[in-house]
Amino acid sequence: MPPRLSFEWLHACSGCEIALLNCGERLLGLLDRVEIVHFPLLMDHKYQGWEGGEGEMNLPEAEIGLVSGGVASEEHLVVLRAMREKCRTLISFGTCATHGGIPALRNQWPINEALRTVFTGPEGKGEVSNKIPAHLDRVYSIDEKVRVDVSLPGCPPRPEMILEVIEALLEHQSLHLPNKSVCETCPTVCTGKGRAAVRRFLANAEYDPEEPIDRMRCLLEQGLLCMGPVTAGGCGGKDTPLCIRARVPCRGCYGPVRQGGNQLLDMMNALASNGIDHRGIVDRTSLLRFSGAHGLLRPRRQRT
Amino acid sequence: MAQVISIHPVTRIEGHARIDIHLDESGEVSDARVGISALRGFEQFIIGRPAEEIPRIVSRICGICPWMHHLAAVKAIDGCFGVTPTPAGHLLRELCQVVAHIHDKILHFFFLAAPDFVLGPDSDYSVRNIMGLVKREPELAAQVVRMRQLGQMMLERFAGKAIHPVAGVVGGFAKPMSEEERRGLRADGQVLLDFASYALDYAKGSVFHRYQEEFRSLGAITTGFLGTVDDQGSLRLYDGRLRLMHPDGTWVEFPASEYTDFLAEQVEPWSSAKMVFAKFWDEGFSLEPDAPKGVYRVNTLARLNVCDRIATPRAQAELEEFRRRFGRPAQGTLLYHWARLIELIYACERVLELLADDRITDPAVRTPATSKAGRGVGHVEAPRGTLIHDYSTDENGCITRANLIVGTTHNIAPMNLSVRQAAASLISKGKVDDGILNRIEMAVRAYDP
Amino acid sequence: MNPDPKIIAFCCNWCSYAAADLAGISRLQYPGSIRIIRVMCSGMVHPEMVLHALDKGADGVMIIGCHLGECHYITGNEMALARAEVIADTLEDLGYESERFQVAWISSAEPERLAEAFREMSGRLAVLRGLSPIETVGGG
Repeated sequence: MPPRLSFEWLHACSGCEIALLNCGERLLGLLDRVEIVHFPLLMDHKYQGWEGGEGEMNLPEAEIGLVSGGVASEEHLVVLRAMREKCRTLISFGTCATHGGIPALRNQWPINEALRTVFTGPEGKGEVSNKIPAHLDRVYSIDEKVRVDVSLPGCPPRPEMILEVIEALLEHQSLHLPNKSVCETCPTVCTGKGRAAVRRFLANAEYDPEEPIDRMRCLLEQGLLCMGPVTAGGCGGKDTPLCIRARVPCRGCYGPVRQGGNQLLDMMNALASNGIDHRGIVDRTSLLRFSGAHGLLRPRRQRT
Repeated sequence: MAQVISIHPVTRIEGHARIDIHLDESGEVSDARVGISALRGFEQFIIGRPAEEIPRIVSRICGICPWMHHLAAVKAIDGCFGVTPTPAGHLLRELCQVVAHIHDKILHFFFLAAPDFVLGPDSDYSVRNIMGLVKREPELAAQVVRMRQLGQMMLERFAGKAIHPVAGVVGGFAKPMSEEERRGLRADGQVLLDFASYALDYAKGSVFHRYQEEFRSLGAITTGFLGTVDDQGSLRLYDGRLRLMHPDGTWVEFPASEYTDFLAEQVEPWSSAKMVFAKFWDEGFSLEPDAPKGVYRVNTLARLNVCDRIATPRAQAELEEFRRRFGRPAQGTLLYHWARLIELIYACERVLELLADDRITDPAVRTPATSKAGRGVGHVEAPRGTLIHDYSTDENGCITRANLIVGTTHNIAPMNLSVRQAAASLISKGKVDDGILNRIEMAVRAYDP
Repeated sequence: MNPDPKIIAFCCNWCSYAAADLAGISRLQYPGSIRIIRVMCSGMVHPEMVLHALDKGADGVMIIGCHLGECHYITGNEMALARAEVIADTLEDLGYESERFQVAWISSAEPERLAEAFREMSGRLAVLRGLSPIETVGGG
């Protein structure tokens, strides 16, 4: 019997699943070797038989399970626990699963306030529906709720990396997940002397479009806030990081380069240590936009 | 005995949803509803953030159509800051948007919907999927996988990231296009156009004719339609005026910035999802199965119904044939698939048209912006329908208010009607099987929620 | 229960740590809930350590280094100063009041000033504690 793969998505956007499909023909090669037993985007396996009502989760057993998205509701929690139970190796798939991702920006507000804004709209009309599945107090990464065997970050993860991780697990080989920062994989010109302040990205970086990327000056040295120093690399494989290819600064989508690191504090520390004025940053909490789970983003204290 | 039948989750769609079908004592359908439960709170958590960052945050609303959210937001922020993008900036944005439509349509038709048609709605659930398609038609499947990847790689090579893009920026685009890049994209675009023509021929020749009855009746309802056209009445995806068509075929046009005068949002007590209805018709909103009020549809079928023509030749020829067969407005719910493949041809033709425009390689891709207070409404036609982003900023250029109407929101009301119709016509005396339930899901799948 | 707020004080080996020693020998009074952690230089305290202390239940954190211009390693305390501004701003973002953090410059010959700084910090935190209880957050 071929090894079985099982996929689930929680508080997710399906970008991770699309990244997997972007593997193209290599994916067809994988399909020859494995059996996919559960994958709501692509196949019809249901949680329960239709006559079963609200019974137990009927998820199949699998050698490898991939779960994308963070944990935001009781329903997510039920699905996640069932996946953990049925999958021998569980991969947290994408930055929402590993660090909360963009949806964890919600953690800066109490849940009731978030619901009210979404439902009442800008004019404050309407009521919060009482039919919403029970929401948790905040958005959690999945390792906050269950044991995770492999953490595969990225928004989305690089397609080749997804296949390499699955293939390494199938062959019982050791995993080579990237452990360098974005800066360490970035070819732009860094002189050690940059601007003493950061500006907002309201005009493009300075570069000659005729020249290759390794002739462009480091974006941080150009005064654009680039999260490269504190962000895990790997988005561009052995090549230039993807956002830098588009000539825009990194925003940190692979999460912290340091295990358990805090991208906001680390970036602010990097700026302070290099004598760069941090006051040009308009919204500092946005620096945690990909890694707000693990209790890092919270509501501000209300002063009385 | 009264009973509730649940389909959970609805599969082979691009999000989380469930269907609950209520049967009365005699086993007839008394009600059926689609629930879409995800609440992500984007309107809340972008408040206070610098507006120029928003296009890189809201793309995460959807990983299948991130370009749509990215560009609707970029256009709205242009409006907040009062900046006009350069011509090349607009062309590059449109190019990326249209290329993104290509991958999406291939994904939806072949990966998600085609298993129902090629393998059959009653085939076993374990093979009724893209993996089953790979086994049944390996050559077609391999080509589909390659073509979808090609569309995505066009974006990644030129714009850095294909999923969760970064290259659209307030005032234009982050990088210009070189002649070399243009040549490469043209070659790829031609390959995709050939595939798109083949795909529609394949569907018409080998698939659709076997499902005449389903096309006519499955999930069939009568509604209005909403889409985008230019001043000639031609189909547009990137910009243009909104056209709201009444079920009787008459229409009204308006700029997206005036959407609140024509559309209104409502939360029904039984659902967690916001719904939108045509306020302009002044008939209120009702999902009464026999006499719905205020309900219109978006997405491919709607766009083809509201436009007078398509400005590219192959797609126009297909549109004419489509109209000859199904009239205007065409109401059959499964016709969404047919319309999707016509739009795929349009998207490929439009890519080549844009790349033939010499202004696209102009290095002036971005007008520098100044952050300030303002309001902006940005809209694009996303694969899932008309997408509207509406923001206000304070004097520091940070978001103070946000309202988002995503494609699927428009379609939630008609989807509920279609599911109700499909369930009522397929289930009688409490008799249910896997094939019937999959047919009910097909009524949802057509909308590509 | 100890009514005094718990304070973590990172003290530089070359100045405030010696001042604390001297304060003890001199029998100066300061709250017993101060926990001193000796560091070789105030400039080596990463902002994360400050946050970690708060996350684990400390009421407040101090970094105490040499007077500016008197750093044993020439510019270490200037680094600490640059970081201190960042820490004060960032703590608010992360859900803490900026008053929970204090930086001070105290030489080895100023035990009275050290004791006074401890008392002042402790008093300030006691007020804060009355307003909003600290909750412990795991992780970090």
